[in-house]
Amino acid sequence: MAAAKASLLIAVLAVWQISPLPEYVLSPFQILKHFAAALASAELYENIGASLARSVPGFVLGSFLGAALGLAAGVARWFDRMLSPAVFLTYPVPKIVMLPIFMIWFGIGDLSKVLIIALACFYPVFINAYYGVRQTRSILVWSALNMGATPAQIFRRVVLPSAAPMILAGLRVSLALSFIVMFAAEMINARSGLGHMIRVAENSLRFDLMYVSLLAIAILGYAGDRLVRFAHSRLLAWQQPA
Amino acid sequence: MKVLEKMLPLVLVGTVLVIWEAAARSGLWSRLLFPSLVNIVQELGLFFTRSASLMEAWVSLQRALGGFALAAVVGILLGMLMGRSKLVAGLLDPLFSGTYAVPKLALFPIFIFVFGIGSLSKVALVFLECLYPIVIMTYAGARDVNRAFLWSAQNMGASRAAILRRVVIPATAPFIFAGFRVAVPVAMIVVVITEMVASADGLGYLVIYAMSSLRTDRVLALVVVIAALGYLLDRMVVLARDRLIYWEKLDTYYV
Repeated sequence: MAAAKASLLIAVLAVWQISPLPEYVLSPFQILKHFAAALASAELYENIGASLARSVPGFVLGSFLGAALGLAAGVARWFDRMLSPAVFLTYPVPKIVMLPIFMIWFGIGDLSKVLIIALACFYPVFINAYYGVRQTRSILVWSALNMGATPAQIFRRVVLPSAAPMILAGLRVSLALSFIVMFAAEMINARSGLGHMIRVAENSLRFDLMYVSLLAIAILGYAGDRLVRFAHSRLLAWQQPA
Repeated sequence: MKVLEKMLPLVLVGTVLVIWEAAARSGLWSRLLFPSLVNIVQELGLFFTRSASLMEAWVSLQRALGGFALAAVVGILLGMLMGRSKLVAGLLDPLFSGTYAVPKLALFPIFIFVFGIGSLSKVALVFLECLYPIVIMTYAGARDVNRAFLWSAQNMGASRAAILRRVVIPATAPFIFAGFRVAVPVAMIVVVITEMVASADGLGYLVIYAMSSLRTDRVLALVVVIAALGYLLDRMVVLARDRLIYWEKLDTYYV
């Protein structure tokens, strides 16, 4: 069954491998060969390390603020009235346009990149946490009230568990976003990282390095997604897997 | 009290603007860091009165909408096929879910070599990034059409084409629009990023150009323009959705 599922992927790779290609499109085996060679050198690890040093703090900061403020806006009406319109109004705005401003405010180093990643990660988690709270079934809250639960208990034992699946879905989106924004910020302005590596490779026509960097970011994105899904299945074992 | 509640959202925005203007006028920071709101509004006025800058916005809009429209056509087609055919779903689903979390943006340098540095490479990347949410949402909708409706339609002697047109498509439409709403901001993001990375026209290029000339006020005016464009496109999707899917209200709180 697994073979049947992957059949199209294998077919695509096979056609890609045997078809005549221009020099800037490498075949799958060539890419693997270059990637294996890069794995043996320190350069790739340094760039991956530099990229993760930006994307992970940004993701953690943005997601944490998003979850905290989203939960607060879902629970407290006055906070909702004050904050939510601003968040929903700016939601469809591409956050990356703030990068130049952040660079002027916070310097061209890592801080501006971490903050722009945090800004991008904030939105999906905020919105999901907010809707997660609002979708809590009133009957559960009423039952808890009836049984004499305090507001703090209701929040911890009823609201939080019922919002958790939505928050984790938001985390999945924001993790994917964190890699995109990290890569974009590094392509626009950086001295290290995978986005910088692909720019240098592009400018010096090192097609092998371009594909190495591309494969590295693809693996990172895929692994991060698996990690969130693993956390989802462990933390929310009572839920049907999506 | 009612009036006060209505004013609450404005309080936050107003406070931010007042703090901003105070910071700009305090002299603690350089004008390059915090330009006064007056300067930003002036730059906005300049943007809308110059045909050259409006042309740049038009270029960006064309790229975003072109890629999005292509992705909509291909994505709905693929999603419908996947939803209605186990075979197609079995073939394509691993491909889409396997590469879903991979940042497609990383392909841009390669796209530049394949499609050239002009609009085509940007439209191709917008297409690719928008394709995923549209396919995935359409697939989810077409797969879970209420069986009772399908059976009743069959029972009443509807042809396959009639079932598709009268049952499957209306049932999937809300999902398609949910996909559109994810895809439209993505299209704007990709256009702006690709123009910031490698371009000689479009709004993203204007941002980088203003930034390189340290015109913070102009950068901020452009941020406002791009934000307004992203917001307007989203409203247009919602408007189209409400007109086409009149039988089902969008059950979100604010938007």
